Amino acid sequence: MEKSGSIDSLGSKRSSSRQPSVDSLSSTSTRSDRSGQAKPPSADSVSPTELSPELRVRPKAPIKAESDKEEPQLLPNETVQDMTKDVTYICPFIGALRGTLTITNYRLFFKSTDREPAFVLDLPLGVVSRVEKIGGASSRGDVSYGLVCKDMRNLRFAHKQMEDSLRKSIFEVLMKFAFPVSNGLQIFAFEYGQVFPENGWKVYDAQAEYKRLGIPNESWRITKVNDHYELCDTYPSTLVVPVNIPDDEVKRVAAFRAKGRIPVLSWIHPESQATVTRCSQPMVGVNGKRSKEDEKYLQAIMDANAQSHKLFIFDARPSVNAAANKMKGGGYESEDAYQNAELVFLDIHNIHVMRESLRKVKEVVYPNIEESHWLSNLESTHWLEHIKLILAGALRIADKVESGKTSVVVHCSDGWDRTAQLTSLAMLMLDGYYRTIQGFQVLLEKEWLSFGHRFQMRIGHGDKNHTDADRSPVFVQFMDCVWQMTRQFPAAFEFNEYFLVTILDHLYSCLFGTFLCNSEQQRVKEEIPKRSVSLWSYINSQLEEFTNPLYVNYYNHVLFPVVSLRHLELWVGYYIRWNPRMRPQEPVHQRYKELLAKRAELQKRVEELQREVTNRSASSSSERAGSPTRSITPVQTFV
Amino acid sequence: MLTGSKTTFKVRQMVPDMKERMLSQSGVNARSRDMFGLRCLPGECVLQRAVLVRKKLTAREGGGWLSGTLFCTHFRVAFVPQDSPKPDDNADPVLLGDHDVALASIEKVVAVGPSRTKLVTPNSSLKFTPEELVLYCRDLRVICFLFDRLTPDTQAVEITYTIAKTYQPLKSGTVLSFQNAALGSVEMKQFLSNRHRDAHMNWFESSADWEQELERCRATGWRVSSVNDRFEMSTSLPRFNVVPQKVLDTELKKTFAHFNEGRIPRWCWRHPRGSDLLRMASFQNNIYHEKDDTRNLELILFGVQSSLCVVVDLGEEMPSPTDIQLAHSRLRALCLGDISSSVSVPDDKWLSTLESTHWLDYTRCCLRKAAEVACLLRGGHLTTVLQESEDRDMSCVVSCLVQVMCDPHSRTQVGFQGLVQKEWVMGGHRFYSRLNHHRDNDKEEAPVFLLFLDCVWQLLAQYPSRFQLTGDFLLALHDSVHLPLFSSFLANCQRERCKRTQHQSQTYTPVNGWRDVLPQGASPDPSDAPLPSVWDWALQYSRERRAHFTQPIAPTPPLQPLLNGNLNTNPDTHRLSDTSPGSVFLLSRGSFSCPANLLPWRSGSSGVYKKSHRRAPSSENLPGLERLLKAWALTEGPQGLASSTMGPQGPLDPYEPLLPLLLGPCVGVWKECYLRGALHAQAFSHPISSNHPHPVEQLAWEVQQLKDKLASTASTDANPPSKRAEPRRTDSNLNQNTNNGTFLFPASRSQGLGVTRPVAPPTSTNLQTSRALLPSSAPVSRPGHKDSSGSSKHTFLFGHASVTEARQDQRYYPMPNNSKLTKSNGPSLGS
Repeated sequence: MEKSGSIDSLGSKRSSSRQPSVDSLSSTSTRSDRSGQAKPPSADSVSPTELSPELRVRPKAPIKAESDKEEPQLLPNETVQDMTKDVTYICPFIGALRGTLTITNYRLFFKSTDREPAFVLDLPLGVVSRVEKIGGASSRGDVSYGLVCKDMRNLRFAHKQMEDSLRKSIFEVLMKFAFPVSNGLQIFAFEYGQVFPENGWKVYDAQAEYKRLGIPNESWRITKVNDHYELCDTYPSTLVVPVNIPDDEVKRVAAFRAKGRIPVLSWIHPESQATVTRCSQPMVGVNGKRSKEDEKYLQAIMDANAQSHKLFIFDARPSVNAAANKMKGGGYESEDAYQNAELVFLDIHNIHVMRESLRKVKEVVYPNIEESHWLSNLESTHWLEHIKLILAGALRIADKVESGKTSVVVHCSDGWDRTAQLTSLAMLMLDGYYRTIQGFQVLLEKEWLSFGHRFQMRIGHGDKNHTDADRSPVFVQFMDCVWQMTRQFPAAFEFNEYFLVTILDHLYSCLFGTFLCNSEQQRVKEEIPKRSVSLWSYINSQLEEFTNPLYVNYYNHVLFPVVSLRHLELWVGYYIRWNPRMRPQEPVHQRYKELLAKRAELQKRVEELQREVTNRSASSSSERAGSPTRSITPVQTFV
Repeated sequence: MLTGSKTTFKVRQMVPDMKERMLSQSGVNARSRDMFGLRCLPGECVLQRAVLVRKKLTAREGGGWLSGTLFCTHFRVAFVPQDSPKPDDNADPVLLGDHDVALASIEKVVAVGPSRTKLVTPNSSLKFTPEELVLYCRDLRVICFLFDRLTPDTQAVEITYTIAKTYQPLKSGTVLSFQNAALGSVEMKQFLSNRHRDAHMNWFESSADWEQELERCRATGWRVSSVNDRFEMSTSLPRFNVVPQKVLDTELKKTFAHFNEGRIPRWCWRHPRGSDLLRMASFQNNIYHEKDDTRNLELILFGVQSSLCVVVDLGEEMPSPTDIQLAHSRLRALCLGDISSSVSVPDDKWLSTLESTHWLDYTRCCLRKAAEVACLLRGGHLTTVLQESEDRDMSCVVSCLVQVMCDPHSRTQVGFQGLVQKEWVMGGHRFYSRLNHHRDNDKEEAPVFLLFLDCVWQLLAQYPSRFQLTGDFLLALHDSVHLPLFSSFLANCQRERCKRTQHQSQTYTPVNGWRDVLPQGASPDPSDAPLPSVWDWALQYSRERRAHFTQPIAPTPPLQPLLNGNLNTNPDTHRLSDTSPGSVFLLSRGSFSCPANLLPWRSGSSGVYKKSHRRAPSSENLPGLERLLKAWALTEGPQGLASSTMGPQGPLDPYEPLLPLLLGPCVGVWKECYLRGALHAQAFSHPISSNHPHPVEQLAWEVQQLKDKLASTASTDANPPSKRAEPRRTDSNLNQNTNNGTFLFPASRSQGLGVTRPVAPPTSTNLQTSRALLPSSAPVSRPGHKDSSGSSKHTFLFGHASVTEARQDQRYYPMPNNSKLTKSNGPSLGS
């Protein structure tokens, strides 16, 4: 209740009782996608997704407006920059629609005027990857623009050529605000003033997380050596290293690892003490350089686990690529130098291959799906094969740690893309904590954000350079793998599909500060937590939206997903959600919520009845009295 | 009894004269015998057994391994888990236990040795001791047993031999001996003769059954004709057929000759908006149409609607039986990883290979056609006639799918069984030929019925909450099709089925009294009891398995009988019915036409018709009809999007058809069925979930339980028996609590469910039985469990030590492919 109060005061125009903040944002919630009936504010209606930045996508979100207003409901500090009537939106599913186009510093908002009920398109500008003018002025004087979006869609608009050529076209305004970084403007996340009852910046505390893992212990210590990011500027300040390696040796190890990304602990098995450690490639080079410190360091990692006299090094790359890296001074650990270590290549391809693969997926699914060759077309994108390789790699890691009780070291080239995918997926399999909503946030904060997955670079927030070769859907791919796991273990995850889609939507939206910047150091420098809102603030303020009602907390279970292609599926609810023909027949999300409500209601009734039984049986035979009372407990523990 | 190698020798000799042996035993023993923990059927004897065997559990069963004892009898390969509850001697016999497989289902026996695998045939000899035994089944299961190091080698070898020698590659002879092995004993026959049929479902055997259906659909203007009572008019039609009231039997008789095999247009179903669904075979063209005939033909074709008739052509665009057979065999080959031939499709070619089977295309094709018909019917007040040249394959598929889409009753277990009974069993689908159990006519073999089940599964996958039946039910039906035991699937038409029965009992059948015969049909001579119907599920599946056949909670909207035959009238209807009476259109390839030769008697050659009916060129109806069809495209498309603002799931008309999405990504593989055995799917075992009673179910059950408690507390000493049961139930409840505080108590589902479920048998009896059952079924497996559920960390990698001790209810079931809530419950729950 205080919740809604605070939110209301914060300027959402509609005060709906429960989740005002959400309502204000999603007044134009769409029904078009299966991902979410209730989209979160801004993002949802936006429904951006990531994707390969270079894809030419035109965004289009069929969205229904429930309000009669021409304008979107603005977020705090959101301001209208331009508005033009008589714009045509060329929807690939419905056809041409005439209406009004509004550009704010946060979103693009189109509302049709020739259709009842009005068709609404509402997307955050952060989703836009590129804006292009298509052709010259046509005979009728129309100019058309294509918007390529990062979330698997392309949008196309047309409008009359301005007679007054002095006035800027609305699309020029659009370009300015879609790429604020390139235009010297500020990303909207820094202006967004919403206050949420929960503070998402407090979700992750490295010390607390390591404490949860039982660290420090007799084999591992927390080091301050990177406190000011001088050891490695892409690593977090808090690192866990083997106890018997002093800081100065750690520094020498850093010299031997690409970008100074030394092997550090990500996860430790509570019983066997087998660990998952991550790092970057060793700087072996063509001459096969060696580093005594590095060898000793890995030995120390192995020794920290008394259960095994072996260490597995998982190199995520195909062996050919790993070898090719020697030319650039990198490479992989030779088994001569590292006694007792076994090197395994996981054959996962690089960011460029992934980007290309997802681009093909987009071609296959947007806007039209060719029915008769759907499966072979999908196969030709190789996307599911990549997913399979990543999951299979993570599975091997988890298996080694869990069943083999052996410590593993994971790296790729730099240790921030494939390595992050592998370690975080393996941890998701190994540790039930990461399968809760909060735990998953911690996982992302730790393995992705603090360990320097370069979100800014991979996504290109606010940057118009859509051909940047550094862009790649690495994080999307990871989320896809998570989704595959939720499909195989529907009761093992506390969050639902909508949670995953929401995170991806806000990966691009630039509404929250969470995914800005490339590293912890930059985030500290930019004072991101101070100047922006965390996505987790938004999510944790309305957990019921994201809760999986099927969740049962099997805390100690290790999940081993089936990674055969036969059991993987394309994530239709994300990649094909713009196609109205893919709308789920039943609003699953809605049903989930109903189930939750039903559960609570039943719960209550059970308690009432139990109380009644207790009362009655107390008054009747004492023999029966005991049991009902005792049986109350299960219910309570359950919920 | 039979242990060691010496005995095996005996076994081999014994096999041929099994029958004698069986007969000699059957009289002596009680109805069931308990051998080494295996509960045998009457007359069944164990040929071989092997101890300390582990069975690989499928993902669905929770994964991992289960240890126990493996048996081979002359009817099945049975597996009894180590700590399974002691069989209850008084319970009715169940043909197959949860872990058993009938010999007739086995297609291939493969032994896996230390370094090799070998396909074991009756004549082959093993040169190694098998470590693993893999049974490939016709129903696409792959069952895998692992022999322990402690299993005596001789046992491992001998049971492999025994299975290889005893399983019966299907031929006509073996089917009979298999049936005898299963049902041949005197006790079994008596038992079968005394079975009661499920009175809740419509068997469509008597005219009263059909009348009941007419009434249920509020179909007026129709009557049940017994003109085919002795199958003189048409050998493949059932005895009773529903035809328009206005046509007298004498007139009706003359129409049979005009249709292929005499399969005249017959009524199948009426849509609540007043349209009728009919089906018929193709016309006999080279026949002279007399004037009277023409009138009658028109009458039966138009049914009670005089104005508009659409003939839906199921010929060209639908897959032929040959297509289906080919597609299915490809699908089998693809899905059934086969270690003995080691030719399996590499993972990266899975999708394109799947596509090239065309199985999904055919599924889509059937669904699309059915959806079109459903849209037509929804338009109201027209007669839709499905026409197929023989009217015995695709018209069964389409008419059933239409009803599943439109009629909520057909989505209940009982209703669905009635539907299959009506359209397939009575409708004369040639099960005998299509299933080809006797392997006497390979050309005719085609799993049309399996294609239909797949289509239903697709609908279920898209509308999980609109079905009362579940995927488990479809799966059970799928598997039963492969067992040559059920009368439903062992004849081509009612006549053949009757022949068999009549041959046995030679009962006189009064004209309308067919129904009376069967129940008492208890043929006095028990030597050849009728084969059971497939719907007698208790014969095949344990109570626990059957409990999974239906959703625990009634789907929304609640199933209620039709209020009247004319639900609201669609605006389109008027436009359609305004036009000249007697228009006939052909729906083919998604568009309408009225070709001149559509009705042979109207075509030029027989000028008779034109004189009697001055037929106006009725093409003004076309737009209306096309609009109806478009409605389906629209609901699918963006327009539908726009028009459904009020929420597609609003308070829906329950008869609004469930139109499937047919885009590529929406039609999927029925993994629970086709991929359940594939070995790669079992490479890792895993935790569970889909099979768990959903927490909400659990709560619903608890609520019910508490209600019961309340009731019994109130009526303090009213009924002692239930009072006694109570404390025990609470105990089980407690155990459940200790289990991590979750509600994963496996047996509970079966108990509470009967009560909440709408279609379940009367509550009181059900409740009673479930209580009575409880002590034996539920708590037995508890205690060990409690201990193991502590803090130990369970992994489900096979071979891992903790696996065997982990119990089912601690695991998640992976749910490989349903995104939706299969166990979802409608809001109508409990209350």
